[in-house]
Amino acid sequence: MADLRPILLVEDNPKDIELTLAALAKCQLANSIVLTRDGAEALDYIYRRGAHADRYPGDPAVVLLDLKLPKVDGLEVLERLKGDADHRQIPVVMLTSSREESDLVRSYELGVNAFVVKPVDFNAFFEAIQDLGMFWGVLNEPPPRGRHGS
Amino acid sequence: MSSVLKTQLPLDTCAQEPIRIPGTIQPHGALIVCHPQSLTVLQASVNCSEILGCDAHIIDRPLREIFGASLAEEVRRWLDSQDITLLRTTSSGAKTLQVLGHRTAQGIILEFEEPPATENETIGALYPRIGRFMDQLQDLSGIQEACAVAAREFRRVSGFNRILIYRFDAEWNGEVLAEDSDGVLPSYLGLRFPASDIPAQARELYRTNRLRLIPDANYTPVPVHPSANPLDKASLDLSLAALRSVSPVHLQYMRNMGTLASMSISILVEGRLWGLVSCHNAQPRRVNAQMRTACDLLGTMLSHQIASREHSSYAADRIRLKHLEAQLLVHLTTAESPSRALASQGRLWMNLTDAAGAAVITGNEVFASGETPSGDRLRSLADWIETQHGGDQFVTANLGQQQPEFADIADVASGVLAVSISQLHRSFILWFRPEVVRTVHWAGDPQKAVPSTTEPLRPRHSFASWAEQQRLRAEPWSRAHIDAALDFRSAMINIVLRRAEEHAALTSQLQRTNRELESFSYSISHDLRAPFRHIVGYTQLLRDREKNLSEKAQHYLESINEAAATAGQLVDDLLSFSHLGRTSLAHGNVDMNKLLQEVLRTVEPDIRERQVVWQLERLPSAWGDAAMLRQALVNLIGNAIKYSRDRTPATISVRGDGNERECIYEVRDNGVGFDMRYVHKLFGVFQRLHRMEDFEGTGIGLALTKRIVERHGGWISAEGEVDRGACFRFAIPSRKES
Repeated sequence: MADLRPILLVEDNPKDIELTLAALAKCQLANSIVLTRDGAEALDYIYRRGAHADRYPGDPAVVLLDLKLPKVDGLEVLERLKGDADHRQIPVVMLTSSREESDLVRSYELGVNAFVVKPVDFNAFFEAIQDLGMFWGVLNEPPPRGRHGS
Repeated sequence: MSSVLKTQLPLDTCAQEPIRIPGTIQPHGALIVCHPQSLTVLQASVNCSEILGCDAHIIDRPLREIFGASLAEEVRRWLDSQDITLLRTTSSGAKTLQVLGHRTAQGIILEFEEPPATENETIGALYPRIGRFMDQLQDLSGIQEACAVAAREFRRVSGFNRILIYRFDAEWNGEVLAEDSDGVLPSYLGLRFPASDIPAQARELYRTNRLRLIPDANYTPVPVHPSANPLDKASLDLSLAALRSVSPVHLQYMRNMGTLASMSISILVEGRLWGLVSCHNAQPRRVNAQMRTACDLLGTMLSHQIASREHSSYAADRIRLKHLEAQLLVHLTTAESPSRALASQGRLWMNLTDAAGAAVITGNEVFASGETPSGDRLRSLADWIETQHGGDQFVTANLGQQQPEFADIADVASGVLAVSISQLHRSFILWFRPEVVRTVHWAGDPQKAVPSTTEPLRPRHSFASWAEQQRLRAEPWSRAHIDAALDFRSAMINIVLRRAEEHAALTSQLQRTNRELESFSYSISHDLRAPFRHIVGYTQLLRDREKNLSEKAQHYLESINEAAATAGQLVDDLLSFSHLGRTSLAHGNVDMNKLLQEVLRTVEPDIRERQVVWQLERLPSAWGDAAMLRQALVNLIGNAIKYSRDRTPATISVRGDGNERECIYEVRDNGVGFDMRYVHKLFGVFQRLHRMEDFEGTGIGLALTKRIVERHGGWISAEGEVDRGACFRFAIPSRKES
């Protein structure tokens, strides 16, 4: 039976939030979705501090992380998590509007589990989110080596 | 003391030449060396008692004791003064003597001469003559005329049989420009004396001591004792002594020429030995010190006159050439390259140095104008100049003689004036002058004047006119021409440097612009794509939610969807296009067959409903960036599929061919084709040859493909015919074996 740990979505654009949540809803996942609006809050959640100091313990099933974020950006969050022995096993999927090669290269250097350039075509986006949700949220197998999307 | 130090001779190599330290003097006078402070005698010629009528033992005795107080006081007063030399008349016993003094590092040298029994002319009569001579010189414009007037004047003043005034050429041969003679000695006017007649160390001595007198070539030298100077233990330097004994070889030379007395006065122009006034007498002849001073004065006046003539002719030349240089520079600054300027302004280039040909050599490129050697010979010449001479300039008026391997180009390039215009690589401007065959009349065969190594040094015997035809020589380059070339060189280097600076400024500006563009495309990538994505997303959500929309409403939604998707695609395509200019290629060996199979798999969904006949041949491997080449193939095959969609069946063929230079790939279809009149627009960004409703697309695919191919150093071409299909070929260079 699937683990019901929450999926952590880190996204600041309200429209992207709405569309991503709609896509996730379509997957009919049992996992709860936790939304944080910037990198700092995401780290607070993971490290159970600040506003999230009282949350139940446990890592999220997967972090869906936008690249461009206020305060602490996606690459910094990724670097922080992957550089921490206690949290580096949390799967991180980078969701981004950018096709910049440098962002991609940097993400892989930092040990991202998957990198998804949000497609303009909503159906493709929907499929990508669905795949991610199913793969990381439900199956929750050890992170594979391969790239997912791009 | 201090005045002694001030006049110390420079201790250069010439000062070490034996002609300065013969150890003997001529017998028509006596010489003593005194201590600069105590005025005691340090050295003396052995004929002192005979000439001066004094005691034989004068070494270590004070001057006052030997000659009395008056001469000693005279010498002291002179030493305290600023005068360089002392010239006095003194009496010693019954004799009247002229005494000459000069300071040296080895002590004060005093020379005593008995005035000749018969005076040539009274000193008083000299002044009006010298004044007249000056006026005459002023009125003359040419150097040769000035020399002729001077020769006459020298003969009158000195009373010698023959006066020759000659000028040294670049090789130190002396050409007789003027002569004045009473007919006792033969005429040498217009003849040349070979450089070997006056060796280099003698010429150097003539620059410091302007006048030499040998009253009798048959004299017996008188030793100076002790031979070592007590102050520095060295041989006594007689460079500035009037009585200095000369080389026996020179005395033999004089006897051979039939002149037993000779006096020569140097003509110095700007410190350089320009020529000599040579006074000859068949019989021995003495000239008193005052008369010699008068001759020296005449020589100085002539020197100044020559210098001023040369200077004004140089200045006139320079003004003329500066004008040409300015004209040339105007062309240079506006021309694309120096070579272009040469091509269009050949005459000006040549006139700058009054040359008959000019060339610019940059690396292996040669541009020539006028009469010049062939390109290959020019390149060899540039190589030789660069390796043998280097430096900023190379000047010769007899290239073929200097370097026999270039004798073959003597007809156009006997004279070469070359300036280097780059320190980094071989880059020269060269000017050429043709061979001018001329006849030179020597005073005796110069070949016989060259001393052989096996025989003892012996001067030549024959001074009879001997005509030589000289070849491999050009008109020599004047200083004005050489300076014009050097000025032009620096002006050109400045232009090149300024261009380089402008280039650097432009480059940094471009780099800045490029960085701005990069950040611009980055923000497009992030920010511009998002709204399109949102539009598409919300349209989809709306459609999912409202199942009962009218057909019209559904059509509107579909249109919004398509428009936003197209705009998003456009942004993506533009980004990949700009991206391509910035990313570096990851070169590798690319199996194009494998790549093609991958591409075919990705396009498979697009042709599922269609009938496509694929004609695939085996493709050679390419040396390039796999991801980029894949993109190029995707674009070409995508186009072939797109533009052949009305054909049943569509036929698409892909083939390739490779050689050691490049691999060529070809994608051909039987689709709608295009009009060859618009082929030049095919590869431009946003260029479309079809209406949007007929064939969708952003108009970037082929521009991107072209950019990919060109980044690989290859080329792309297209052929087509309306309704008869299209064929695209591109070539990727083969790997260079290093």
